[in-house]
Amino acid sequence: MQDKQQILAVIQTYIAKMPSLPITVSKILQIANDPKTSPSDLNFMISLDPVLMGRVMKLINSAYYSLNTQITSLVRAIIMLGINTVKNLALSTAVLGQLSTKGNFQALNIDGFWRHSLCVGVTAKLIAIKRKKDPKQLEEYFVAGLLHDIGKIPLNNKLSAEYVTALSLTDKERGPLYILEERTMEVNHCEVGRLIIKNWNLGPVMEDIVFFHHFLDSYPGDNRDILLTVAAANFFANTYQIGFSGDRYPEKLPQSLYEELGITLDDLEAMEEKANSEIEKAKVFLSVSQ
Amino acid sequence: MSIRLTFWGVRGSIPVPGPTTVKYGGNTSCLELRFGKEDRLIIMDFGSGIRELATVIMKKDLPRGPIKTSVFLTHTHSDHIMGFPFFTPLFLPTTELDIYGPVSFEDDTLDKIVGDQLRYRYFPIRLEELRAKINYFPLKEGSLDLGGGLTVTTKYLNHPILVLGYRFEFDGKVLCTAYDHEMFQNVFEAKPDQPGYNEAAVKEGEIAAREQNEKVQQFYKDADILVHDTQYTHKEYLAGKKGWGHSTFGSAIKSAHKAGVKHLVLFHHDPLRTDQQLEGLYKAYMSLIRGRTRMKVSIAQEGKTIEV
Repeated sequence: MQDKQQILAVIQTYIAKMPSLPITVSKILQIANDPKTSPSDLNFMISLDPVLMGRVMKLINSAYYSLNTQITSLVRAIIMLGINTVKNLALSTAVLGQLSTKGNFQALNIDGFWRHSLCVGVTAKLIAIKRKKDPKQLEEYFVAGLLHDIGKIPLNNKLSAEYVTALSLTDKERGPLYILEERTMEVNHCEVGRLIIKNWNLGPVMEDIVFFHHFLDSYPGDNRDILLTVAAANFFANTYQIGFSGDRYPEKLPQSLYEELGITLDDLEAMEEKANSEIEKAKVFLSVSQ
Repeated sequence: MSIRLTFWGVRGSIPVPGPTTVKYGGNTSCLELRFGKEDRLIIMDFGSGIRELATVIMKKDLPRGPIKTSVFLTHTHSDHIMGFPFFTPLFLPTTELDIYGPVSFEDDTLDKIVGDQLRYRYFPIRLEELRAKINYFPLKEGSLDLGGGLTVTTKYLNHPILVLGYRFEFDGKVLCTAYDHEMFQNVFEAKPDQPGYNEAAVKEGEIAAREQNEKVQQFYKDADILVHDTQYTHKEYLAGKKGWGHSTFGSAIKSAHKAGVKHLVLFHHDPLRTDQQLEGLYKAYMSLIRGRTRMKVSIAQEGKTIEV
């Protein structure tokens, strides 16, 4: 067992060259190699891959460093950076994914993780729509949901044996994954996720969501609204078992959270069909046509 | 004189020597900027025009002392860097060159992208054999104080690669470049019955494109000289050149006028454009805007100098 510093060093190295999810690689290559790619397809494809989404956001926010506010809109990023630049970035991320497909996702199942991430993104956005949030902010809710578990990717890939242990402990002890990650690897996916968000320079909102989505009580910041929304979407995805990200026994959310958001469990339940249909739509899109 | 601008390359895409381009010139982008009484030299782009400029520098500047200058690259497409190996001062041990250009977000750095042209597969001399001292400075959006009262501000433009526009300010005068550049477009624009129509993206895209175009206009606001990409006519643009990263005469004139530019220079001529066509287009646009703007408009021409 390595000590925490060694583990973090391994993870930092991995983050610098983090690949796309294997599930999206073929579609990315198809779209990015097509000279007539439609911006809408490019937009949709990126929104289905948390790693690629993070990388595009990193590029737009680090290139235009004089921006007054963090950009979280993919549409805006594609217009500002240009289709070629975004396609180029997608290609390089996909190529990394191609190289590392073998042996990837040994503990967590890739399809389950992808479905979970997408479900939380879609549901966070649906909750925001239900709560009549500003349409301009909707994409930020989606991105936050899509990225909330990003920290699991390096843990799953670089510490696969330990991650298998952590996952089996969740079943044995019926406990939440982040606690068992800490026990087996000394770090949890929230901490690792924060390293990624910092490395990608995605700003304080994303950093807060990724780091605090299991620590709502101790959250001191100003992004409570979006944090609670993602936490509710995450709980919904885990409870309704849409996808699987290793958290079979998540901590229950306090009733006050629903009151604060002004939503009910029935509201969430009503979103199940829409969330599933969005995921299926994405799945059809990702199946590469020959 | 505060700023003196001389064109050594005005053509887009590829050098096109020949009888039909002899008046305005066939070399690709290269601008010589001179500032103040000291005749301080700044070079814009290493297009094929740099070869002629190098000859002038060797004759005029070298006798006054070692060549120490800065080069600002708008981007690294080949027509803007192809002349690099032919910049003769590179081969002098006394030369000091600061090369600025947009940061690359790919694996290769600015020095590698530019310097890689000096490899045996492309050129008989290797980069390592150069005697000059070269420093590279990758740039993002921002402002730089270049000393001696000269400042430069950068702005990302719209092209299929990250491109920087430059705004030089000296002695109360402003010179801007906006090439290679296409007005930002809402690439998500679609009709509701089109496949993949996304209403939110259409609206967001419209706002984003408008805001970016306003920012570009703000960037060259009140410039004394603006050198702007005008590669296409509106008709050519609509016939398959959308998204290629170049502006039309009409859009450049309109935008520069709105920004209060004093002198707009039409630049980055299409390789297929003959001298005769260029003059024909110029006359047509001048008659369209006559009496509607106080802005002076001229065609960038190799060897021609503009002073403010």
